[in-house]
Amino acid sequence: MSTEAGSGVKRRDFLKILGATGATTAVVGCSSEKVGKLIPYVSSPDNTVAGVSQFYATTCKECATGCGVLAEVRDGRPIKLEGNPAHPVNRGAICATGMSAMQGLYNPDRYRQPMLRENGTLTPVTWDRALEVLGQKLGEVKSRGGASEAVFLNAHETGSFPGFLDQWLAAQGMPAHLSVDTMAPAATIAANRSAYGAAWPALDFNAASLIVSFSADFLDAWGHKVPQQLGWADARAKLEGAPKLVYIGARRSLTGLNADQWIPAKPGSEMAICAAILGQGSTADAAAAADVPEATITALVAAVKGAGSGLMALCGITTPDAVDCGRMVADMNKANGSVGTTIKPAEAHVGYEGLASHLDVVAAVERMAAGSVPVAFVRNVNPAHTMPANAGFAEAFAKVGFKVSFSSYPDETSELCDLILPDNHWLESWGDAMAGAGQRSLQQPTLDPVFDTRSTADVLITAARADGTIASRFPQADYRTWLTANFNGGAAAFAAALTQPSVSGSPVVSRASRTATSRAASTPAGEGTMHVVVYPSATLGDGVGANKPWLQELPDPVTKIAWQSWVEIHPKTAKEMGVKEGDHLTVKTAAGEITAPAYPYMGVRPDTVAVALGQGHTAYGRFAKDVGVNAYRLVANGWDSAGNLALGGMGTVTRTGDHSPLVTTEGSARQHGRKIAQAMMAAALAGPDEEHGHHDIAGLVSQEYLPGLKSPVAADAQGEMANPLSKDKGMYNPEHPTKAEARRWAMTIDLARCTGCSACVTACYSENNIPTVGASYQGRALSPVTWDERPGANILKGREMAWIRLERYYEGNTNTENEFSPDFEARFVPMMCQHCGNAPCEPVCPVYATYHSPDGLNVQVYNRCVGTRYCSNNCPYKVRYYNWFGYGEPERRQYAWPEPMHWMLNPDVTVRGKGVMEKCTFCVQRIREGENRARSEERDLNPDEFTTACAQACPSRAIVFGDAADENWSVAKLAYDRRAYHVFEELNTYTAVVYLKKVNHPAPAAPATA
Amino acid sequence: MTTKKKWTVIPGFLALAAAATLLSAYSGASSSQGKVVEQPIKFIHNPHVEKVGMNCLYCHSQANKAMDPGNASVATCMGCHTLVKTDSPEIQKLTEYWNKKEPIPWNRVHKVPDYVQFPHMRHVNAGVTCQTCHGEIQKQGAAGVGEGYKPVEQAASLNMGWCINCHVQGYNPAEGARLAGLPDSVVQALKNEPVKKARYDCAVCHY
Repeated sequence: MSTEAGSGVKRRDFLKILGATGATTAVVGCSSEKVGKLIPYVSSPDNTVAGVSQFYATTCKECATGCGVLAEVRDGRPIKLEGNPAHPVNRGAICATGMSAMQGLYNPDRYRQPMLRENGTLTPVTWDRALEVLGQKLGEVKSRGGASEAVFLNAHETGSFPGFLDQWLAAQGMPAHLSVDTMAPAATIAANRSAYGAAWPALDFNAASLIVSFSADFLDAWGHKVPQQLGWADARAKLEGAPKLVYIGARRSLTGLNADQWIPAKPGSEMAICAAILGQGSTADAAAAADVPEATITALVAAVKGAGSGLMALCGITTPDAVDCGRMVADMNKANGSVGTTIKPAEAHVGYEGLASHLDVVAAVERMAAGSVPVAFVRNVNPAHTMPANAGFAEAFAKVGFKVSFSSYPDETSELCDLILPDNHWLESWGDAMAGAGQRSLQQPTLDPVFDTRSTADVLITAARADGTIASRFPQADYRTWLTANFNGGAAAFAAALTQPSVSGSPVVSRASRTATSRAASTPAGEGTMHVVVYPSATLGDGVGANKPWLQELPDPVTKIAWQSWVEIHPKTAKEMGVKEGDHLTVKTAAGEITAPAYPYMGVRPDTVAVALGQGHTAYGRFAKDVGVNAYRLVANGWDSAGNLALGGMGTVTRTGDHSPLVTTEGSARQHGRKIAQAMMAAALAGPDEEHGHHDIAGLVSQEYLPGLKSPVAADAQGEMANPLSKDKGMYNPEHPTKAEARRWAMTIDLARCTGCSACVTACYSENNIPTVGASYQGRALSPVTWDERPGANILKGREMAWIRLERYYEGNTNTENEFSPDFEARFVPMMCQHCGNAPCEPVCPVYATYHSPDGLNVQVYNRCVGTRYCSNNCPYKVRYYNWFGYGEPERRQYAWPEPMHWMLNPDVTVRGKGVMEKCTFCVQRIREGENRARSEERDLNPDEFTTACAQACPSRAIVFGDAADENWSVAKLAYDRRAYHVFEELNTYTAVVYLKKVNHPAPAAPATA
Repeated sequence: MTTKKKWTVIPGFLALAAAATLLSAYSGASSSQGKVVEQPIKFIHNPHVEKVGMNCLYCHSQANKAMDPGNASVATCMGCHTLVKTDSPEIQKLTEYWNKKEPIPWNRVHKVPDYVQFPHMRHVNAGVTCQTCHGEIQKQGAAGVGEGYKPVEQAASLNMGWCINCHVQGYNPAEGARLAGLPDSVVQALKNEPVKKARYDCAVCHY
């Protein structure tokens, strides 16, 4: 440092100036206080009270399941999606993908108006101009006689729109559309059709005693996730009589981690195992093909035989022989007589009716490549991203005369188009969906369109009515009128139906029948020694979720990695290759190669690597672009006997020498004896309760007060524990007129139900205005002009903000670097603020910003907090999160809700600023809302009247919230369950969160010896 | 650090600290009590309340239902003012908004920070008179819209201490009634009513 005499003077001058500037700022700051506006309605709409939520029932269109959702609308804007408790499909539950539809609706990168390619670039145009161009091009196509060669790729959906679209295409002289869903388990559907006569029979988990899953990831992304998870969790909650799950596959998925046994069969050996079970092959052959001990196969065969009609065998493999394997699996069910018991074709879900196969799309692409397609339409599908590179989509698409996209987002495909007619989001549109056979679920707009977009159906109607030759076929001016006019019973019945979760009925028009393209199976043989497994991400799907920061930030349920791609490799193989976590691996198949950091995972076979789909976008907005790699690059353009894309094959894995840290939210995958996730064997439930009522040390609070919540409420300065001589106990006094002390808010989490799906995490983000911190623009400054622009840079520094996180711990298998063993267990623990009665965070706060409220909440007062972070340091559960940057301040670079995403902020919850600590509040805003409602209605709170956001969403129904001091609330009973325990009870924290131990079952197909 | 440097830095910081303390003390930075804001229309509460005898809930119709008290829609104003006082220039301004079907951009006077959740309905339903917090609002604009017109001003400090005071010590119904201008008999009758105490833990308002 300089010690020149002059510098002191300069500094003094500087301080003077600084003082003067400060004074000016302060004075100006006071006198020019910002005057806000108070804007009234011009005319008040009926039935609205400003600041009070209204709930509109509609139908989720994020996947083909058709869950009923309630859109919470505040002052004209939806702010949250919740499951509709009355809906038959999802019974109030909702998954992370469904909730994230909010971020699709308010996505800042949506097309804001129609776009037209002029001089090579997409330029904004008016709807009039866009429709004029569309009409002109349609006219040209028709006049040249090319209409029959047109291609329309539409995102798969049920309901009336597909039929309507086919009507429109027929009027234009165009062939029926292709309904594309790359996430649909197409091979399973094809096998189901031929074996059961239904695309998706209902799965009755409750009737099952043994579930055998051949990579059927019914808790990840396979089939209809939410109803499957509800069924599974309800069945597992039977504890002793619960169905056991055997998972067969080269990679242990989330479903696999929930299994009681993992049989790590080699990819491609599934049919040999099926043959052994069906008695068509020997167990020795199966064991040799699968590379597992023959005793295991023998035990599996016996277990399947023994299960009788309680067997539920499911096939979800995606190899070239997937359909044939699926049929053999169906034969198992038939042989055991479980069709009609666990697999119910009569109650089939119709979500997958009308699906086009990969081969159908390939045929269309071939026609494009031949130059015979004059016009192509794309709506909400993204083949430029989700087709294998050697399918040549981009090159073929370039040869199409005129390319129209109805996509709302600037994705890889729409960027190639000539005209963009952005569709409304489903929360802005009228429509319907099929919720099950004969069950129709309606969809209504919940707000006026955010941007200058129009529903595709309306655009199609407008275009048709402008064409004199076909205008008479479209008498209704818009889709809503068309839908209501064709509704059984007319507009009145339609209006009545809107208030129902679902009504019986079928789509207004059925879709045109279309001949599926049929061709012999073709998969290029891969070279190499490693099996490459490519699987759809449980959070991002095939990549459609990648532009939603909630889904990017939600750690993968298995690996706990966010904002990144990774290569799963067994620790033993990694050690042999000299690969450490984060070392870059290049995976190469016949189709192409990708390079991503390694994640050593004991849940893959040593001869297998696994890569998730979903990332690697080159467009699709600021949250998706340039994050990770696109695993479709590893997939060859091949198909199985039903024309479905076969994922995975053989390849090679090499080290590049580069390294980048994994963006993971996990500290350690092991419990190190901490007893965070506890479990017991199902058989022990029948025995005496040895743990409870047993006091080793008389008077030791951790034993005296267990189980449940007999612990005193607060060790607060005014509370009972801290100073028994205190005369003024304030509100902690039971005699205080507000009776605030009478309640004890508490939560139970049943680990026997929890599958680790992480829907609760996203629900919490949505309810509590939690910022996402991993986008590439949100990193810290490295110098005044450079920023850490790695995706997930903040998470690398441990600065994620999730108030609730899903911890995943492994049990067993401690020598994974040297040997491969499939026998390990995973336990999932949702971890949030435990609202300790004797909280370590409270006494260390120098400004009293965290304290214990009389009703049992550990409160964080944002406006008191000065950000010392002592509380976080002292929290044994590590559930306090610090706002390192101004995620909640619009003028800052790291702002988490770029316009219009801030429209979805919950007005009942403070948006926290920089330098403030925050954490789970037990949804105190919902408690207050409930109390206010009860008070307005002059009554007490009803038991189970409301719940927290996480409990509301949970598709496993694992979380129960309520008043533990009132025995009429469910939580009060559950807290005294014999499986109840507190995490770190030895610390005498008296937590208000009670976990119920996970219940383990012996491996169903364990070799008899052992 | 050299002695010279220390002598340069320490007084500098002291001066800065002193300046900050003085400034915050003088500015009353935490309160805007007495704040007066000009409004697009010179609205006067007085004739509405005292002359016509309108209940506050006629315009602030949600005050007993929701967190937010609500404000009259333009249509509500026009319910009377299509006929009443149509010759007044202020009412003509109102009519202009109505004809354009535009809301009146009122300037906000009372505002609590974003981290405060203030449920109006809990207070109104507990019998707290509007005047307890908003001052003698029924007298606002008694001097008319001409010379001497006074817009609505922020009567109370709305500081946390001010809130807590009432929550801890309790609300005095007689005092509330007096401020509301209720007849003396009512005020006297309420003198024997016990004060109403409320919860004052932080999480009642801050979340």
